[in-house]
Amino acid sequence: MSNSSFILHPSSLEEIFRCMKCGNCREVCPVFLETGREGMVARGRVQLLKAMLENRLDLSDGLRDRIYACLNCNACHVTCPCGIEVDELIHASRVAMLRAGKPLPDGHKLLRERILGEQNPFGQKQSERGAWLPEKYRKPRPSPVVLHAGCAISYANNRVGKMVLAILESAGADFMMMGDEEQCCGDPILRMGDVAGAEAQRRRTVEAYRKWGVETIVTGCAGCLKMFKRYYTGQLEKLSDMSDPSDSSEPSDSLDASDLSVSYRTHDFRVLHTLEWFAQLIAEGRLTPKQTLAKRIAYLDGCDIGRHSGVYDAPRQVLRAIPAVQLIEFPAHHESSRCCGGPLMASDPAMAASIASKRVREALDAGAEMIAVACPTCFINLKEGANRLGVRMDIQDVTALLHRSLR
Amino acid sequence: MISDAVRSKLRELVGAPHFLDSLEDRIAYSYDATLQEALPDAVVYPGTVEEIAAILRLANDVRFAVTPRGAGTGLSGGSIPVVGGLVMVLTRLNRIEEISADDLYAVVEPGVITADFAAAVAKHRLLYPPDPASQTVSTMGGNVAENSGGLRGLKYGVTKHYILALEAVTPQGDVLRTGATTVKCVTGYDLTQLLVGSEGTLAVVTKIWCKLVPMPEHKESMLAIFGDVDDAARTVAAIIRSGVIPATLEFLDHVTINAVEDFKKIGLPREAEAILLIETDGQRSAAEAEAEKVMAVCRENRAQTIQKAANEDERTQLWQARRGALSSLARIRPTTILEDATVPRSRVPDMVRGVREIAQRHRLIIGNFGHAGDGNLHPTVLTDVRDKEEYARAEKAIDEIFELALSLGGTLSGEHGIGSAKARYLRREIGPVGLDVMRRIKRAFDPNDILNPGKMELEEQG
Repeated sequence: MSNSSFILHPSSLEEIFRCMKCGNCREVCPVFLETGREGMVARGRVQLLKAMLENRLDLSDGLRDRIYACLNCNACHVTCPCGIEVDELIHASRVAMLRAGKPLPDGHKLLRERILGEQNPFGQKQSERGAWLPEKYRKPRPSPVVLHAGCAISYANNRVGKMVLAILESAGADFMMMGDEEQCCGDPILRMGDVAGAEAQRRRTVEAYRKWGVETIVTGCAGCLKMFKRYYTGQLEKLSDMSDPSDSSEPSDSLDASDLSVSYRTHDFRVLHTLEWFAQLIAEGRLTPKQTLAKRIAYLDGCDIGRHSGVYDAPRQVLRAIPAVQLIEFPAHHESSRCCGGPLMASDPAMAASIASKRVREALDAGAEMIAVACPTCFINLKEGANRLGVRMDIQDVTALLHRSLR
Repeated sequence: MISDAVRSKLRELVGAPHFLDSLEDRIAYSYDATLQEALPDAVVYPGTVEEIAAILRLANDVRFAVTPRGAGTGLSGGSIPVVGGLVMVLTRLNRIEEISADDLYAVVEPGVITADFAAAVAKHRLLYPPDPASQTVSTMGGNVAENSGGLRGLKYGVTKHYILALEAVTPQGDVLRTGATTVKCVTGYDLTQLLVGSEGTLAVVTKIWCKLVPMPEHKESMLAIFGDVDDAARTVAAIIRSGVIPATLEFLDHVTINAVEDFKKIGLPREAEAILLIETDGQRSAAEAEAEKVMAVCRENRAQTIQKAANEDERTQLWQARRGALSSLARIRPTTILEDATVPRSRVPDMVRGVREIAQRHRLIIGNFGHAGDGNLHPTVLTDVRDKEEYARAEKAIDEIFELALSLGGTLSGEHGIGSAKARYLRREIGPVGLDVMRRIKRAFDPNDILNPGKMELEEQG
């Protein structure tokens, strides 16, 4: 495979170059801590990319697989003395690999087809997306606020979705939902390096939200939150710049060529996690948690809601508002929080469960009786972790805890 | 190149999952934290002393090089396989075997991460003092090989002061035991201290007996800001003369202060010429009394401001400047070259001035910070290795920094080691007799030169 067809944005090349090989990333990388292999840590991945750019290594399957094995948790970035934007670099490398003609690793192809087709990763139908919703939310209407359910809630965990609706309605909050017309935000597509597919998702979603007069997007899915906050607002411009309009995943309908001046790439949607809205409503007195929950609860700052989206306070505010809750911190928390391993659930379930079991162990050692999360992936994977450890640890979504205390 | 037959043998010895020879893996083990790189032929992760012995016996018979490796975060090229051969990663040997609070020692395997070990003994209210900056990722084996230092060096010493005994495998594949776990021991040559700092060229360490000390009851942290580097340097000497040996006595120069302020914006005065970060520790009354003395000395030597931390949060605040030093400097230019030339404490002012003059003359950005208390500063050159012209100036400047340190009665390396990075200066510092004795010791241990060859100029020159 020719290395010359692998083209990175110049700022990504600079990132590779800035690595001083100190190895600090080895302290925090969950996959490295499981495998002990230098090729599975930021330093190793950056140096392998450098070797390929310097023609000491081909664009090999071995290189590709190591780049795809990254969780994208970005804990390495936080501990890197040079502040290298590793997550962005990994994304850019995946984009460049696909553009250079390197096939996706197995498993990703199917995921991509599903999302670009029926707009969800689960292999279910788009037409079923809004089935869990009450009639009034199954079709969009003009509104400054849209509640974006996301694929996980729509297809895999509508129980929490229903709680979100109940909580918002009890506070008299006004919002609309896209219902059956809701699309996947495109995060798994971007994460696998298909920036053209991600651009297409973004364009369709932004145009739809604009059409309905949306100014604020609220979502309970941490992955969607990250996507809306980072990619949709143009922060990952260098990835968008790598998109090629002639790629086949661009929609042939909708916009004409002149619109490729990409007005959809800049917008000023306000983006909130549902927990931020709940925290606000609690502060305004429109939600009043009553039922006590006398438990020692450790809140895990999921990577997507925390490090990638900067939302650390709202989940804690919500938990603290529940009477009798004792909030405990993980040993590494906020920006330094450790990933649960969830992103590897599909491709390497044993590794995902092993990483999750470390989080459960940390919670136990900190004296927690429960782990509260704000991410559907953490929710599922931590349960796997507890199973693997053979311990009982209650894993709960913060929304569910709030819902319970409002009754 | 290691033959296919030998590869099969190695695969059999350690198990296929622990033998790596894809090009991707070879590249991943070709570097450390310096700019140097060299490809090994293969990489192994042995799991037991027996495997290590068998591998070395094989290497000695067949004559291929073996380069031991911990985390590969060294700053002198010690773990780089300069002649190829086999990289032997020790990180699977990662057990803390024993902690004895009664006899104040612990037993660890070489792959244990230093900070993890320190945390484990801290649970017993014990302290393992050597705290190299890499401690959250570097290994005890690496620390032993390089005689790593750290911020506590002035009061507590360095790694070598804490190694009681070692188990190590010789290049012939024999298991050697050195030292004793007693407080004192004078039985035969001090092979323990020979191996500490031998940079993986004499034997592969497989077990380490470390000395521990009681955890000090209390700590005081202070930050002093100076408008004149000489005032700060005089303060360092005056503190020692006043009878206080602080646990930490760190220095940041003007370039570093401004780098930190650019990046972290913590409110350091940009005109400041020097900052000292000082910690005293011990019994509460002693630590407090020493802190008072330190602050008085700072005031007498024209410190412009002195802050003392009242609690843990404030301590963290004060430490931000020092903790952020390297990362702030590293953001100035793409290539960061961290040096380690050390001088007697009384010559620190000359060293600081000398480095500044070298920087000006070569038109380079050099930040100087480090362990002023023991004279071990880290002049850090910020450059871009792709800018050939500037990089040539940087290399010249580094040579001059070494010369400067030696001329001030100092040494090439306080704590990072010689490896391949500084090998060419070794003769200048230890002299031809010293180098000859080192070579004879190396030959005695490793007549076939299979263990980490190409380091410290140990090969005979023609």
